[in-house]
Amino acid sequence: MSESRPDGGTETRHVRFDATRPARKQLRSVADFAVREYRLAVRSNWASGLALLFAVLSVGVVVFGRSSLGADGVRAVVLSVAELSVYLVPLAALAFGYGAIVEPRQRGSLDLLLALPVPRWVVAVGIYLGRAAALASALVVGFGAGGLALFRFGGGAGWGTYLALVAAAVGAGAAFLAIGLVVSTLAREKSHALGGVLLAWVWFVLIFDLLALGAVVGFDLPTPALVALLCANPATLFRLLVLSVAGSVSGGFGAVLASVPLDTASLAAALVAWIVVPVAASAALLGRR
Amino acid sequence: MIEIDNAVKRYGSVTALDGVSLSVPRGALFGLVGTNGAGKTTLFRLLVGHERPDEGTVRVAGRDPAASTAVRRAVGYLPEHAAFAPAMTGREVVRFHARQRDVARAHRRERVDDVLRTVGLGDAADRRVGGYSNGMNRRLGLATLLVGAPDVLLLDEPTASLDPEGVETFHRLVERVHERTNVTVLVTSHVLSEVERLCDRVAVLDEGRLVEAGPVDELGGEEAIIRFTPGSDVTPDDVTAFVDARPDVGLARATGDRYALSVPESAAFDRLAALQDALDVERFEVDRTGLREAFDRLVGADSADADGGDAGEQTVADGGADDGGVADV
Repeated sequence: MSESRPDGGTETRHVRFDATRPARKQLRSVADFAVREYRLAVRSNWASGLALLFAVLSVGVVVFGRSSLGADGVRAVVLSVAELSVYLVPLAALAFGYGAIVEPRQRGSLDLLLALPVPRWVVAVGIYLGRAAALASALVVGFGAGGLALFRFGGGAGWGTYLALVAAAVGAGAAFLAIGLVVSTLAREKSHALGGVLLAWVWFVLIFDLLALGAVVGFDLPTPALVALLCANPATLFRLLVLSVAGSVSGGFGAVLASVPLDTASLAAALVAWIVVPVAASAALLGRR
Repeated sequence: MIEIDNAVKRYGSVTALDGVSLSVPRGALFGLVGTNGAGKTTLFRLLVGHERPDEGTVRVAGRDPAASTAVRRAVGYLPEHAAFAPAMTGREVVRFHARQRDVARAHRRERVDDVLRTVGLGDAADRRVGGYSNGMNRRLGLATLLVGAPDVLLLDEPTASLDPEGVETFHRLVERVHERTNVTVLVTSHVLSEVERLCDRVAVLDEGRLVEAGPVDELGGEEAIIRFTPGSDVTPDDVTAFVDARPDVGLARATGDRYALSVPESAAFDRLAALQDALDVERFEVDRTGLREAFDRLVGADSADADGGDAGEQTVADGGADDGGVADV
């Protein structure tokens, strides 16, 4: 990455592989940062707190819906968990991600980390991967408890759908964590980052669907525009992924979602893009600071 | 070891460094003093490669620090407000830094233990950092640098917020490390007496410009200071009259009932005798001009010295007006 300097020249920033440090060592450093961050997340009880939250949520839905468990009942339970997850997973991921960069910066540990002989992108990516692993663990353990309850009350029915829900939740969580990372990199203070992620949650989870539904109803959007609109929100992609696996249509915007010609792989790829782009942006931003 | 040639750094309309040229030889214990915003931290950021100069060049061990991360292997930078994740233990922190600084796996454990013992954290190594005192945190910071056996240590206000015992411990530690390894140390401090004690060379920055650099004991120039406490019947006007009658005597400081006069070093005892003849002097001391006086003369600001007994004195540099500013040097 180059940018203009006052003297008219250009300067190269550190957002690149460092030729003086072998790629293997840089990747090892990414792993070191990730392990460090994962350990910190576990010790700070963030991971166990999130696991407990999702366990209570998923087990609660299964227990309350156990009277109707059969093939269709399992699908209904999975969709109920998914509906709740659409609100809670992004909120948990954003809350977990907003302090990733700004917190060590305010504490004074980021300057020390950036003074290490590693490129800055290593710091950003390592921190992200560590937190993503902690979040994924929490989601798997939490929803795993719901899965066990489902097995206890519903036998083996609907396990594939439930696993797909967990995988989609992990993907959506990773995407919203990446958004939190960008906000954290941009923010000068932790309180600003918190405000930023709350705004992001309100936008992606509450407002976007209303506006999108308005656009669909008000304008006869061509299919490519509709696809672009739906891919512009990782929460919508999460919902679409669950619907594509569960093969069910809920009312309102759900009917619109179900009519979109996107297969599961395309939806997953779009969700991956929501992870890669923000993390890359965060690495670039950290390199410029 | 460090060569800075005409370095200029601007942030928008603010010029943080304005044509600074400085050479720090290998093995020097070099102090960097200046008022708040003088450009000390910016200079460190150039040296560690966090920033590039807009003009001029910066070289550490012959290389451009911003060109790659390679220079950072040779440089240990301890920022002013460095802190650590409270949930990690001291040993984990140092081990992590050892890995990033490419300490060979075969020697890593031994090296980490050795460094922790060196900074006096051997017994606290397995405690979480959140329970460390300020002094322990600073020593842990030093350990994270030392574990990579750097050629250059950049210590930005390393003893800020430490109690006197912590300051003393840190000083002894830096001196011992320097003695053992001959590492080049660059230290900024707001405590002039700290720089005076710790460093053999010093540079004074003012508003982004380098105004003086050289051996600490030569910075004071050819002047001496007579500090005295007059008898109770001596008024400030009497002291002023004494100074005004002698062109080579200046009123350097006046605080309550204490005064400091700057005089030519060669005539210091003659002027002291004249002072005792003219005024009732209860107590006095004569000293070569120190870094404090040199700083006041160069920067024209009052300096706050945490461990000096004359903190808060009013500066009347060269008999001129007091600008009233408190220097964060």
